[in-house]
Amino acid sequence: MDDEQNQRWLDRLRGPEPERGEAIEELRKQLLVGLSRSLGSRYGGAVQAEDIVQEALLRILDSLNSFQGRCRFLTWAMTVATRVGIGAARRKYFRDVSLDSLRQSDALQFELAVAPIASVEAAQDRDALVCQLKEIVDRQLTEKQRIAIQGVLDELPVEIIADRVGSNRNAVYKLVHDARLKLRDALEQSGITAEVFRSAFA
Amino acid sequence: MWNAQEKINKLMGLVTSVEMDELDCDECYGRVAEYAENLLLSRGYTEAMFAIQRHLEQCPCCRDEFDALMEGLRALPTLDEPS
Repeated sequence: MDDEQNQRWLDRLRGPEPERGEAIEELRKQLLVGLSRSLGSRYGGAVQAEDIVQEALLRILDSLNSFQGRCRFLTWAMTVATRVGIGAARRKYFRDVSLDSLRQSDALQFELAVAPIASVEAAQDRDALVCQLKEIVDRQLTEKQRIAIQGVLDELPVEIIADRVGSNRNAVYKLVHDARLKLRDALEQSGITAEVFRSAFA
Repeated sequence: MWNAQEKINKLMGLVTSVEMDELDCDECYGRVAEYAENLLLSRGYTEAMFAIQRHLEQCPCCRDEFDALMEGLRALPTLDEPS
């Protein structure tokens, strides 16, 4: 059933006019319904479904060959359209956000607004731990990795971080993944566990 | 302004949860339609589905897109299971 429907969509979208035009219009209407719901007020309503549906349609038509039939055609088409829509909304929403921290080469800053602590000894222990962590970060990570990790900690979207480091979304994910592995190994070797940090900051 | 403790906790969370064989964003994107449909139609999980679930737990951007996708798919009447 799904296979037949999927093949029918593909045949119509690749076929001659007027069938192709009718299929595109049908798909456009479906996407508009889905995108209206999925974009909703996300990112302050930065992008409306009507603004993005045409770009989404073009992306779908350009990538028909990548549809592998593991799900229904409309599910796949909505996945493509949602990425187009959310990506555009994020870029618009974060366009004016200050990203000064991501431009600094020593991006990771932990000294900010640390809560007061009861004893001098405990404060010294905590400061020593933070210094040790910063040292590990500086020693183990490349500048791009530090910037990417900073962006993740600041909850910036990967696309925005990618723009700042002159890369793409997937490369940023790999950058962060490699950084996490390096830090995990270095912290393990130094005997620093999550529990040590929890105790120091308790 | 960031609270240092919150930031460090988050960093430690990223570090302690890392796995060697995590999916990246492109790999997740390539399979997420199937994953969403399986959830919507209450179909079974495969090993690949668990890998997608793990990526979505780790990657806020993919998670955000996935949540939006699910909302959009629920608005489409044509995704109901055929009788």
